[in-house]
Amino acid sequence: MTSIIKLHAISGAMDESPPCYILQVDDFRILLDCGWDENFDQDFMKELRRYIHQIDAVLLSYPDPLHLGALPYLVGKCGLNCSIYATIPVYKMGQMFMYDLYQSRHNMEEFELFTLDDVDAAFDKIIQLKYNQSVPMKGKGYGLTVTPLPAGHMIGGTIWKIVKVGEEDIVYAVDFNHKKERHLNGSELERLQRPSLVITDAFNATYKQTRRRARDEKLMTNILQTLRSNGNVLITVDTAGRVLELAHMLDQLWRNKDSGLLAYSLALLNNVSYNVVEFAKSQIEWMSDKLMRTFEGARNNPFQFKHLQLCHSIAELSRVPSPKVVLASTPDMECGFSRELFLQWSSNPHNSIIITNRTSPGTLARQLIENGGNVPLNLEIRRRVRLEGAELEEYQRKERENKEKSQEKNEDLDMSDESEDEMDSLSSVAKGKHDLLVKAETKVQTGFFKSNKKQYPMFPFFEEKVKFDEYGEIIRPEDYKMVDSNPEAEDNKENVDLKEEEITADITEVPTKCISVTKTVRVMAQVQYIDFEGRSDGESLQKILEQLHPRRLILVRGTPDSTHAMLNHCRQWNGVRVFAPSRGEVVDATTETYIYQVRLTDALVSALELKKGKEAELAWLDAQIVVRDMSKDAKPVTMDVDDIDKEEEEKGKMEIDQIYTLEPLPLNQVVGHQTAFINELKLSDFRQVLNKNSIPSEFSGGVLWCCNGTIALRRHEAGRVILEGCLSEDYYRVRELLYDQYAIV
Amino acid sequence: MSARKKPDSQVPAEESDLLLIRPLGAGQEVGRSCIMLEFKGKKIMLDCGIHPGLSGMDALPFVDLIEADEIDLLLISHFHLDHCGALPWFLQKTSFKGRCFMTHATKAIYRWLLSDYIKVSNIATEQMLYTEADLESSMDKIETINFHEEKDVFGIKFWAYNAGHVLGAAMFMIEIAGVKILYTGDFSRQEDRHLMAAEIPNVHPDVLITESTYGTHIHEKREERESRFTALVHDIVNRGGRCLIPVFALGRAQELLLILDEYWSQHPELHDIPIYYASSLAKKCMAVYQTYVNAMNDKIRRQIAINNPFVFRHISNLKGIDHFEDIGPCVVMASPGMMQSGLSRELFESWCTDSKNGVIIAGYCVEGTLAKTILSEPEEITTMSGQKLPLKMSVDYISFSAHTDYQQTSEFIRILKPPHVVLVHGEQNEMSRLKAALQREYEDDPSTKMELHNPRNTVAVELYFRGEKTAKVMGTLAMEKPRPGHKLSGILVKRNFNYHMLAACDLSKYTDMTMSQVVQRQSVHYSGALPVLRLLLSQVSGNVEMLEEKKMRVFQSVDITLDNKIVMLEWIATPVNDMYADAVLAAVMQAEILDTTPSFFPIQSKMDRMHFKECLIEMLQEMFGEDSVPKIFKGEKLYVTVDGKKANIDLLNLEVCCEEDEAFQQIVQTAVTKLYQSLAPPRTD
Repeated sequence: MTSIIKLHAISGAMDESPPCYILQVDDFRILLDCGWDENFDQDFMKELRRYIHQIDAVLLSYPDPLHLGALPYLVGKCGLNCSIYATIPVYKMGQMFMYDLYQSRHNMEEFELFTLDDVDAAFDKIIQLKYNQSVPMKGKGYGLTVTPLPAGHMIGGTIWKIVKVGEEDIVYAVDFNHKKERHLNGSELERLQRPSLVITDAFNATYKQTRRRARDEKLMTNILQTLRSNGNVLITVDTAGRVLELAHMLDQLWRNKDSGLLAYSLALLNNVSYNVVEFAKSQIEWMSDKLMRTFEGARNNPFQFKHLQLCHSIAELSRVPSPKVVLASTPDMECGFSRELFLQWSSNPHNSIIITNRTSPGTLARQLIENGGNVPLNLEIRRRVRLEGAELEEYQRKERENKEKSQEKNEDLDMSDESEDEMDSLSSVAKGKHDLLVKAETKVQTGFFKSNKKQYPMFPFFEEKVKFDEYGEIIRPEDYKMVDSNPEAEDNKENVDLKEEEITADITEVPTKCISVTKTVRVMAQVQYIDFEGRSDGESLQKILEQLHPRRLILVRGTPDSTHAMLNHCRQWNGVRVFAPSRGEVVDATTETYIYQVRLTDALVSALELKKGKEAELAWLDAQIVVRDMSKDAKPVTMDVDDIDKEEEEKGKMEIDQIYTLEPLPLNQVVGHQTAFINELKLSDFRQVLNKNSIPSEFSGGVLWCCNGTIALRRHEAGRVILEGCLSEDYYRVRELLYDQYAIV
Repeated sequence: MSARKKPDSQVPAEESDLLLIRPLGAGQEVGRSCIMLEFKGKKIMLDCGIHPGLSGMDALPFVDLIEADEIDLLLISHFHLDHCGALPWFLQKTSFKGRCFMTHATKAIYRWLLSDYIKVSNIATEQMLYTEADLESSMDKIETINFHEEKDVFGIKFWAYNAGHVLGAAMFMIEIAGVKILYTGDFSRQEDRHLMAAEIPNVHPDVLITESTYGTHIHEKREERESRFTALVHDIVNRGGRCLIPVFALGRAQELLLILDEYWSQHPELHDIPIYYASSLAKKCMAVYQTYVNAMNDKIRRQIAINNPFVFRHISNLKGIDHFEDIGPCVVMASPGMMQSGLSRELFESWCTDSKNGVIIAGYCVEGTLAKTILSEPEEITTMSGQKLPLKMSVDYISFSAHTDYQQTSEFIRILKPPHVVLVHGEQNEMSRLKAALQREYEDDPSTKMELHNPRNTVAVELYFRGEKTAKVMGTLAMEKPRPGHKLSGILVKRNFNYHMLAACDLSKYTDMTMSQVVQRQSVHYSGALPVLRLLLSQVSGNVEMLEEKKMRVFQSVDITLDNKIVMLEWIATPVNDMYADAVLAAVMQAEILDTTPSFFPIQSKMDRMHFKECLIEMLQEMFGEDSVPKIFKGEKLYVTVDGKKANIDLLNLEVCCEEDEAFQQIVQTAVTKLYQSLAPPRTD
């Protein structure tokens, strides 16, 4: 009757590596998250590969690469083939995260760990869920249900509850945020009562947060100061998670006329910014009550941005007038636009770089947090450049050769293959561009209908377009255009020559190659870390866990220091077994639970004297087990046998066969029992009860004195209450009230 | 939980097996949907609509038959007036204090739809059921539920399935104590442009409450219907006419817009012909449609990644007739759908005399409205001002109504196989036709037993469910494998119809409740001496255990300390110990009032065995004669001889043994035991 429960920490234990655990309940193995760090650690993957075929289900908590980054690789390259569960936003935004990551990597190097097709294949396997939707597992996991619960932190963020009916309820909660934010509700972790096992991280165990208002102000001052001194602000954010909070907050700031920000620009730069915002718009029901209310009340979608301009490339961004604030991915600055902008902007002391997230140790962002600005950094600069000169010729020659070869081949083959070849070329085009839709125009049509009249700022006047000049020569407007002065170029003279290449960098059709140079960058710009991670801090974490009061606790992911701090703290509570595995370790968290089911007869139930306790009713029961003919009362009388579900029915029958019936014990066989007082009394609550019954009382030195000091109530540890007083009528009155506070069985 | 019990019922409501389903509206009628469920002391209201044909209080369902404050839960299936129209009134003007749920999309549209309803209902203010302010404040009382999300309210478990019909429409599965009830609201099993087909629950309900609007009708196929519609529109504009489509502002109109927008983009030759959509309400709610795409079908959800299909390219919004330049062929969708008044009526009157023009009726029409009248193609019509106009424009009827038809309903029921089906939301005739058809379908099928009900308003359907109760035995109690005859003693914990049986010591391990101990210390003045007290205590309890010089314990549970003229009693509270303590207290009081100190204190904790022996011999001699017992005996053995039969008596453990005569043994045994009991001091263990 007891389930075997084991947790294998493949990654993310006693260190800051991404979370990835295998939870084993009996024979069923669940992979809890599969994050990959910013540098795609291969050792971890080697370890995980060994278990890949044992995994029966995958549960994903958040859409960022830290929690699902390895998924495309696992599905595409390792052959992971099982059901994957995630909420709808984790599915949608997760895909955006992976597209952006791939594109960012692709823009600077030959990235071959996974392809966009792997991303699609992996996400096609995801079964999309809503919060509080219970999903029964099949096969080996029969009897297990998993339920996603709101976790805060990122949209769709999930705390997983894994329940083995009646025996175990396991809660997997990492990186949650119990506080309400602008766009998200807090987690509902506290509402769970006494789970048998909690798996949580100690990442923030020793971390103290400043108040949200202080952090907001810090950001605001930084932005204003930088913009006023004509500098640009680079805010490094993720692709589709925390960025929503920041984007929403900044757009609201810009809307405030008194903020003095209207003169400056605000932009969101990543490879999928249009889609991220579109998805955010259609996921209002996953956001905070406040946002939902404003949407229901005013109907303007909070993610219909007024000031935030969506950009998909550096070229697009350069069209946004400076000074500007740019939200760019990735948060770690190891790749992506944030790194490019960093290289461009860091040498100007007027600029400011704001890091919002503590990424893995060793990443550029983390180095900046730890060492601050103003230190020379040795950076490897990698980028994709267009082939030129001899190289280009060489490439074209090869292409031609290839073509000729394939043509020769084609001629050898049958006609039927031709169409296939066409298909191939078609699909290869599709592969190159993929279904990533990058909209060229940054302005999104805000109306719902086609505007039925053209609007002119003045009296309609049509300017005839002159196609050619008086001499018949074709006019090309480009020839007459003033050379665009690049705002960036002014900031950073070094980059002038790089400019051109960057604009062309994302054009994939032209032959390209990847180059890499190492250079020393001196960070002159102001660097600041402002916490917008949206995680619960250490103190709250402890409080929440204490309230949750699990029977067993596994602490994962966190520096050894913070894990040990948390470990020592949790060991103080009684009745909790705490584990803190290190990487690669397997924790056996099996408890001996005995359980079986019995049927209650009507006679037994009607004879019960139920007493009300907290949230439940209680009664003492003396009974004996008997075997009964179950054909009569096995099922509700109205139920008839289903033909379709015969199999199920039979299975059900077998179960029923094992169910014994409980009958009341004849009165003469009942032996007395020790009376139990159930409830934990708080003296302060009892005082209110006394007040209600107009019995005067007062506290003095932890003792509740009633009736002018004739009766005293003391409370000892472990739920022992002492009622003391001299014989009087009041004594019995107080005692009666005291008894009312308990369910006495 | 409702503590109020009906005086006439013997069983408490919570234990009763009776499930009551009582329509307060929509029973053999269409409109004012409101159905009450009562089971196990829980009361649930499904929908709270108004009757569109009636106004003021008359339009309400028969809510005067129920106590609003007893209702635990109120579920709203979708945003149509006949399903949620009375909600602000019910939430704000009655004593209802339960919880109310609807889906996100329903809540967002409900706000604007009812606000529009308040504006257009032209009845006196005092007759109005509620005001804009009531509506606004009702929003705070409504909670939202996502599809498939499970909620638990006071032990009632419920979750929602997609119902098709309109955006956000839900079917609710409600589970109370293991009995499942499915309420479909209005539903459609046909997928269309933007909505998915109603889902089929994967659990079998015990009771199905379903709509029956279309009775035994069967709808035209979707493709046929759509191509008929687009061909018709194309035809009208091609002949240079104006096409009028009167529609209800929300719901089906969005479907028609999607069809037209797609058709226009496929036919570039039509791009010069404008499509107008004249409804401010729909414009307001478009944002909702653009947002809650997750409640729509897969096609829309996939498309959202590329562009939002609800951002129309060929359809323009029309503010009112003043903004409309009537210069040539065009398509106009205007509300109201039945052309009772308003823009659709105005346009109709100005266009009906030209045979090039055409009108397409796209929805359900009620008897007596202009839309219904023109379907019979009369020669002339009467305008709002009373003038007669010849009707020359073409009139066509294509139903886009998203209600289930007979085919769909029948299939739905066949899959779910509910033992009970309750029909609501349908006109009397349609409903009885559907009932008969369904009955016919299952009449030859012995394997399926299905009961069909079509209750009238206020008439309750009574169903009995003998709920099986099972308990889980957990922890130390369950360590031993169950076998017949095994005795179990423990605490039964009942929570939300679930029972668990635990040993008392396991309580804090498996629940959030803890065991406590209450210690009582009672002091009373006592001026007498210790020996007196002890004497009286020993009379009460027999055995007084001396712990210290001035501390003793009686009944093995109550400690008594005498200290400076105060007697203190201390014990751990249990009902039994409390009783002992009271007895001890009485003894103390008695000792206090004994004014003369008795001179003799027998310290008689042991009984006088010699005395017992003497008494025993005497008694036996009286019973069986002088000679039956030996005159002198030693030790603890004695025998009695009567009629040659000899019974041995062991005085130490009071056992009598006579091998020859059992009856004799019994007699002697009883006598000995009784004597001992009367002589020995009372025992407490």
